[in-house]
Amino acid sequence: MIESPSALPNPNFAVQKRRLRFLGLTIDDTIRAFFGGNAFVAVVVLALITFFLFREGIGFFVQNRFNVELYRQAGLEYVDHIRRQADDHAALSRYLSDLRLRQFSILTEREKRSLADTNTALAPFDTFAEQFSASADPLRALLSDLTEQATALKTKFVVTEDRKEERRQLLAVGKLAEAAAVEIVAVDFARELQPLIAMLPTYQTANRDFARTLAELIERPPALVQVELASRLATFQRFTRDYVAGFPAIERAMAAWDYRQPVPVWHALTSFIFGRQWLTASFWQDWYGILPLLVGSLLVSLVALFLAVPLAVGAAIYVNQIASLREQRFIKPCIEFISAFPSVVLGFFGIAVLGQALRTLSQQSWLAWLPGFPFSERLNILTAGSLLALIAVPTIFTLAEDALNNVPRAFKEASFALGASRLQTVLKIIVPASLSGIISAVLLGLGRVIGETMVVLLCAGNRIAIPDFTQGVAVLVEPVHTMTGIIAQEMGEVVRGSVHYRALFVVGLVLFLLSLAINYVAQGIVRRYRISIG
Amino acid sequence: MTTRPPSAFARSSALSANSPASRLSPAVTPEVLVAIDHVDFFYGATQALNDICLQVEAKRVTAFIGPSGCGKSTLLRCLNRMNDLIEGTRLSRGTIKIHGVDIYQRDVDVIELRKRVGMVFQKSNPFPKSIYENITYGLLLHGRHEKKHLDEIVERSLRGAALWDEVKDRLHTSGLGLSGGQQQRLCIARAIAVEPEVILMDEPCSALDPVATAKVEELIQDLRSRYTIIIVTHNMQQAARCSDRTAFFYLGKLVEYADTRDIFTNPTNPQTEAYVSGRFG
Ligand SMILES: Nc1ncnc2c1ncn2[C@@H]1O[C@H](COP(=O)(O)OP(=O)(O)O)[C@@H](O)[C@H]1O
Ligand SMILES: [Mg+2]
Repeated sequence: MIESPSALPNPNFAVQKRRLRFLGLTIDDTIRAFFGGNAFVAVVVLALITFFLFREGIGFFVQNRFNVELYRQAGLEYVDHIRRQADDHAALSRYLSDLRLRQFSILTEREKRSLADTNTALAPFDTFAEQFSASADPLRALLSDLTEQATALKTKFVVTEDRKEERRQLLAVGKLAEAAAVEIVAVDFARELQPLIAMLPTYQTANRDFARTLAELIERPPALVQVELASRLATFQRFTRDYVAGFPAIERAMAAWDYRQPVPVWHALTSFIFGRQWLTASFWQDWYGILPLLVGSLLVSLVALFLAVPLAVGAAIYVNQIASLREQRFIKPCIEFISAFPSVVLGFFGIAVLGQALRTLSQQSWLAWLPGFPFSERLNILTAGSLLALIAVPTIFTLAEDALNNVPRAFKEASFALGASRLQTVLKIIVPASLSGIISAVLLGLGRVIGETMVVLLCAGNRIAIPDFTQGVAVLVEPVHTMTGIIAQEMGEVVRGSVHYRALFVVGLVLFLLSLAINYVAQGIVRRYRISIG
Repeated sequence: MTTRPPSAFARSSALSANSPASRLSPAVTPEVLVAIDHVDFFYGATQALNDICLQVEAKRVTAFIGPSGCGKSTLLRCLNRMNDLIEGTRLSRGTIKIHGVDIYQRDVDVIELRKRVGMVFQKSNPFPKSIYENITYGLLLHGRHEKKHLDEIVERSLRGAALWDEVKDRLHTSGLGLSGGQQQRLCIARAIAVEPEVILMDEPCSALDPVATAKVEELIQDLRSRYTIIIVTHNMQQAARCSDRTAFFYLGKLVEYADTRDIFTNPTNPQTEAYVSGRFG
């Protein structure tokens, strides 16, 4: 019912925008700016962190190349040929010590001989071992000589570089006189390396003597007190023959060695990715190889997942499909409560209780058939992995339970209506329908575990070495170090801007990329899963 | 659409010997398959069914009608004990017998029961598996694995559900890729694959368009010679078109149970009359 056809707006029909303004913005604009601003800050922070990681990290490769180049130019690489030879000899000596220990324990424990008696019986063997060890003395003397020379050369070069840097800085602030006073002596590698290379004939002579001595020694091995160890002695002889046979190759390599050979650019990268040694602050040469850390992180995480996945997924299935409402109300908070433990507390628990308990368990005779049992290291992959499993369980449980919850109830009803039992329904309908959700839950659990620091730092044993995979499953009771652990441990001690500092950043970068990849894959799976359930 | 299939009434007229007098006597005649006797049913503290007595005859289509919330689905789900899955439910009084066997006895194997009493739900719910796997699911559960045998049953069930020609070329694609009506017929095929005696349908067409509804109704006509069908429906015409017998429920009680024609043309109870004529509901 229109009273007047006039074009005047009816004041009762108030749909116009209110005039209320704040800093010249309407309320809507302000709200928009506020929430948009929050999102923007998040994006900027992420970009900054990524940029910072990359900026600090990339410098590593330049410095590492320099590091590797110096290794060659100062002759360290040259000397390392002999060092490896001496190390191999030491390994053979250790084999002999091990053989002695076996004989000793058989004599004292099985044959119940007295200590003096045992030592007398082993006297010929000891003489042999001593002779074997002493045979390398000339080699070791030569090695320590060369080591000194190479180290001195390296130091000289590093000092020169420092001086250059000092002068550059002085020039930069305009102190010309002081800059001119900084004395710089260019290092002439060709001349300085001369004495090192001149040693080659001496080395070759020494080597021939060494080889002859070894050959003679192993031709007349000592009589063993037990026949059953004869095969070990034969192995020792074979190892030694192989060792001696390798000498000419070493000499050839040393003769062909040239400090001028350029170090390829990609070597800075490959020596990082495939480097089997992480060796820092050493008197000789630092190596930044991520492999031992990566392997350590992966092994610990895999053990954690192996333990956590059945637990968490099983619990999720139970709570979601089988438990009564009261059980659900009890179990869910319990599992979620696990994540309330600070990880340092868990790590402490690992050191104080779990590590010891696992080792004691491993020493039970009825468990001796398990690979790697009994083990002596209290802190190892297994200890750290068990605790990380505890950390992963709440993550995996919650996400897997969500995935199970998302399976429409109708599927379950249809299955029951066809005469399926509860177990059949869970295994054939519910789990397959939520499988991708469960897989992504597991992946996110992996992401959580691989980034975890405190527990592994405290409980993984922190030995920087690739564990010995030839032992099979027993590798899991070896100590390792991890990517997160090494950053936490060493970051506080390194010189800012040094190659070591930057190496830690690159490790961080690798961790970041790894987590990113895991999350990306998990998200992708979730997306696909949404589509397939429709 | 609204023309009645002549057979529906031809059949019930053949049964017109079933006089109201004989309906009132609960004597078990040979053709009674499901006997519901003085059943009370509770969800926790709320009573959903109150003293229901009803006898479903073999190889007939029986329709349950009534306003929303009157307990049609509840009664239907009692017949294959699907209500067992809901916590806090109980059948506090009365018995339900199929073939004279009380299905709420302790020694009844629910799994075996559900094999004999299949179910089709209101919202079609094929599994997120291939069409083929949807059909074979029930068979594999009961340990029938020979490929040739399975192939045969898949074809027979899909033909039985009038779906074979539409899907025969894509048996191994997902059942969720079918249209709503096709999905519902797939669910019917899945139910008949395990050869049940009774098929319970809970508003099977309520989510379908008229064309798909007509197809399902046609299918029900085909199935009536081999199965005992109980169908819950909101659609009065559907009950009239498809069923031989109709039960009208109101507030958890069975108000009237008679031949479909009698219910729609000559109801004895004024409430029934009001409902079928659309005056309340
Ligand atoms: N799962 C349940 N829990 C509690 N009450 C329910 C449940 N399902 C149905 N009811 C109640 O039981 C009564 C009958 O419901 P239902 O059998 O679904 O009715 P209809 O199918 O006839 O619409 C309704 O009052 C409803 O609220
Ligand atoms: Mg209903």
